[in-house]
Amino acid sequence: MKSFVRRFPRMAIGSAIILAVIAMAATAPIFFPFSPWDMRGSPFEPPGSPDFLLGSDALGRDIAAGIAHGAWVSLMIGGISTMASLGIGVSLGALAGYVGGRVDDAVMRFAEFFQTIPSFLLAILLVAIFRPSIFSIIAAIALVSWPPVARVVRAEFLSLRKREFVQAAEVLGVSHMRVVWQTLLPNALPPVIVLGSLMVANAVLTESALSFLGLGDANWMSWGFLVGSGRSVIRIGWWISVLPGVAIFITVLGLNLLGEGLQTWLNPRLSKRDMP
Amino acid sequence: MAQSASVEAGYAMTKKLLGIDDLSIGLPVYADRPRAVSKVSFSLNEGEILCVVGESGSGKSMIANAIMGLLPRELPVLGGKIDLQGIDLLTQTPAQLRSLRGSRMGMVFQEPMAALNPLMRIGDQIAEVFYVHGLPGKPQQIIDLLRAVNLPDPEALIHVYPHMLSGGQRQRVVIAMAIALEPALLIADEPTTALDVTTQAQILNLIREIQRRRNSGVLFITHDFGVVREIADRVIVMKDGELVEHGTVSDVLKRPSHDYTKKLLAAVPKPNTGAPRPRSERTILKASHLRKTFWRGNKEVAALNDINLDLRKGETIGLVGESGSGKSTFARTIVNLIAPDSGEIRFEGTDLHSLSRKQWKPFRKRIQFLFQDPFESLDPRRSVGDIIAAGPMAHGASAAEARAVAKEKLRLVSLDPSALDRWPHEFSGGQRQRIGIARALAMNAELLIADEPVSALDVSVQAQILDLLEGLRDKLGLSMLFITHDMRVAAQICDRIAVMKLGQIVEEAPAREILSNPQHPYTKTLIASVPGLSGESANHRTVEAL
Repeated sequence: MKSFVRRFPRMAIGSAIILAVIAMAATAPIFFPFSPWDMRGSPFEPPGSPDFLLGSDALGRDIAAGIAHGAWVSLMIGGISTMASLGIGVSLGALAGYVGGRVDDAVMRFAEFFQTIPSFLLAILLVAIFRPSIFSIIAAIALVSWPPVARVVRAEFLSLRKREFVQAAEVLGVSHMRVVWQTLLPNALPPVIVLGSLMVANAVLTESALSFLGLGDANWMSWGFLVGSGRSVIRIGWWISVLPGVAIFITVLGLNLLGEGLQTWLNPRLSKRDMP
Repeated sequence: MAQSASVEAGYAMTKKLLGIDDLSIGLPVYADRPRAVSKVSFSLNEGEILCVVGESGSGKSMIANAIMGLLPRELPVLGGKIDLQGIDLLTQTPAQLRSLRGSRMGMVFQEPMAALNPLMRIGDQIAEVFYVHGLPGKPQQIIDLLRAVNLPDPEALIHVYPHMLSGGQRQRVVIAMAIALEPALLIADEPTTALDVTTQAQILNLIREIQRRRNSGVLFITHDFGVVREIADRVIVMKDGELVEHGTVSDVLKRPSHDYTKKLLAAVPKPNTGAPRPRSERTILKASHLRKTFWRGNKEVAALNDINLDLRKGETIGLVGESGSGKSTFARTIVNLIAPDSGEIRFEGTDLHSLSRKQWKPFRKRIQFLFQDPFESLDPRRSVGDIIAAGPMAHGASAAEARAVAKEKLRLVSLDPSALDRWPHEFSGGQRQRIGIARALAMNAELLIADEPVSALDVSVQAQILDLLEGLRDKLGLSMLFITHDMRVAAQICDRIAVMKLGQIVEEAPAREILSNPQHPYTKTLIASVPGLSGESANHRTVEAL
């Protein structure tokens, strides 16, 4: 354990942060057994006041409860939307890279179509069209973030296909599906895992930005909503915006460290900094 | 020669140039042994070629890098002394070493393309050697250097970029750079390993010629005893970082004293002198009028130009040729990894080329392929058992049956069945090639296409794999198409040899006939270029020297 920390400090710090955030989300109902929307005292209590550990907002809601409950929303949206976009990206990238030719062209032009539109604007557009709800937010984030995955998987497949062990499978008479599942995908996965952890960070940010703009799901307290709600009163109660912002910052930092650490761990040749 | 050396030219023949005393080089803690080089001592005189022979990992290149001061930080010199013409190289500052490199000691690397800057013209690259030592580097000097390494039309060549030259020409340029300042010591680290055999012969001649003309000392690192025979005055043999044998070339080659040297010499492939095996009447594979053209940029390259070949049941045909001759393309065409433009490949009468993927499937069991690189051809993310079982499972065997087959085949290639649950990276190159053979034989193939299966292996491992293949062939009645660039390997294992050049088979005959009485001029050049054969008639040479 000690040597692991020494060899992969980024990954150790990153996973520690993420584990802490997950723990916070999981224990929120225990420490704050009430809805974060409840008004529980006087408004604009500063952090450290007897009723509110991290202060209260303009309506007397508990910021600490908001952050703890919001962690769950942020992580869930980040996780599910990343899974969905990995699903789309990996299938389309694998299809393009394995079949090649016209299929490859078609899939790549389709991906480029998404990449030419600024992804955040597209996400806003999609959420606005489909009504803000937790599902439309997840769908919008998944839809705008799959093209890089497809590109990475396609590139991996293209180079792996020329490798001798893939040709060996071909010569053995292994079927297309098995070649893809057993030989190509496992070897193409490390960069995708790294990309995935960075995408969770991006999804957390996108969700926060959407909520900040008022496009969040009104049933779920999220960090972005908290930042947004404190915006108009920032000169009276700075903590209402700043503390949830700090939570976003730390979580995204943790995910990025984790991603970089995974990169070193899975592909030691790319980065020598963390090696002994 | 440097000025001081030319004054001493009178007694230069015996003058000591380089002395290495008790040199030890460390390895990082996670390595398989504590030291890369352990207490090695030897010396090199002026006008002498000393060959350092050893297998991969023996530490031979480390010695060269230690002399040049090019060792990475993880490999510190632990002790000893390196003395070049009275200068203690290990105590020099980096700046002092820089000025010695090039002027007192020059180095030729294995991979000429990697040693040249691809964005710099040849003339400028050579001139740079002069500039970094504060010398003018006149165009005439550079042209003379290019002429000295026997490059044609040096006046035009100085304006050319490295990628426009062939491998052999590039290596000549690297040699020209190494000798530009007339260093007394020339270090050559496997300078011909990446080259074709005919080019290798020319480069060896060139090095010998330059060394004689300038009376310089050459430290020549190689793994090939043929090359040693060709060029060395004295030889040292390295094993696991230790010097195990030291002597003149004739002593070491004819009367080796250390067991390891004997083993290495015995492993050098020798032509099969047993009675020729009878040729079967039954044709198993017949290629006729096979053509394949590739486009390189807008240039058409005929990789296969009307190939005809008749492989009989139980026979081994060696397909010999230099890089780019199309032999690998041919191998891959047979197993449908590359589609030919025209022509037929018939396996027991069925034209393979016209089959659909589904119709091909039954033939996948019967025709198998053995790849060159044992580190590339095994999936790093699957266990050895899964790798071998993949074939039978693709043809409908259950997981348990396939595993039983895998176990049996591991025994067949003399690996322990416990290897089933281990990973490819846990095995050495030779063991991995055995796994590759087990995979190819898992479905009881009748025809094995082996594409340079031993080229990436050390000579002693190569001998074991060749023995294994030979044994399996006889035991299982395999027919084999054995592709190699090494005439010595072909001579050992093949019944017949087909020589390929520029997409054509220029000559095909029983192995013995090709070796003793080659007809085509290219075959003659090829056989004459095999290192370790020189003078005398081809027949005498092959038997005597191979």
